[in-house]
Amino acid sequence: MRAREGDTSAFDALILKYGDKLYGLVYNMTSHKEDAHDLLQEIFVRAYQSLGSFRGNSTFYTWIYRIAVNQTLNFLKKRNRRTDLSLNDLDSSVQQDPALIDTTQEDDRERQTQLNELQTKLNEALMKLSHPHRMVVTMFDIQGMSHAEIAKVLKASEGTIRSRLHYAHLHLQSALQESWKERF
Amino acid sequence: MKPSVAQLENLLALKRHEGPGEEYWQGFLSEFHQRQQEPAEVGSGLMNVFGQIGTWFADLGPSKWVYAAGLAYTTVTVAWILIPKDLMLEAAPLTPVNYKVVPAPAPKNEHPAPVDLSSST
Repeated sequence: MRAREGDTSAFDALILKYGDKLYGLVYNMTSHKEDAHDLLQEIFVRAYQSLGSFRGNSTFYTWIYRIAVNQTLNFLKKRNRRTDLSLNDLDSSVQQDPALIDTTQEDDRERQTQLNELQTKLNEALMKLSHPHRMVVTMFDIQGMSHAEIAKVLKASEGTIRSRLHYAHLHLQSALQESWKERF
Repeated sequence: MKPSVAQLENLLALKRHEGPGEEYWQGFLSEFHQRQQEPAEVGSGLMNVFGQIGTWFADLGPSKWVYAAGLAYTTVTVAWILIPKDLMLEAAPLTPVNYKVVPAPAPKNEHPAPVDLSSST
């Protein structure tokens, strides 16, 4: 409410509150840090300019998330038309929270290395999915949203969401077949 | 062997922890404030209205095609009503089916010279 009335510090607070989630969406869809940063700036600028149109029919998070989804998909369509960007330009490395990585034991270090390789393969496989399929995997598996929440944001039926997820999972499972080890 | 769906989901869930640190957001906010202070795009009020309509249309789901079809239909109907009828070109008169073709008189021919069939060598 205060943000809608022009209180910029209130909008800053919204950026800090939802920024991580939106960053996760944009980065996992673009797999490019600079693109994710620029796109996220554009998303928040668009949201700030459109605050007057937010009527409260949905939560603010759903509303801004929908803006982020549309802006990201539009950006990816334009990026796909660029001929100078190759898969090598995309970031398939792993960016894990160091607190999660335990390298005290040699077995654990070896396991961590194998896990990192697996994550790299997973990132590459994710980028080969179509945009709609990558979007539902990002929202459901990575960000932990429910089928109902995803359906509301994407304005699709829950059946469509489940179907896309199923196809995407099959594709990812096949992509990881060679790298997967029983110890995982 | 392939990972099971549950194993795949667990692997994907690890990516939930990927993200920039707190210092990133301070820089992000500074840049955002600069963008807010940049002058708005030059354009008339009408351009802004078109821009907002475009944004609204892009944010619609699949139903946007229903709106587009309705708008096209309305445009054609309004144009049909408003265009003055006398501006429409009259169709050229069609030739009636029972039109009688009168052939032009054949030109008069001079009587050709008689052919000499006798052998003359």
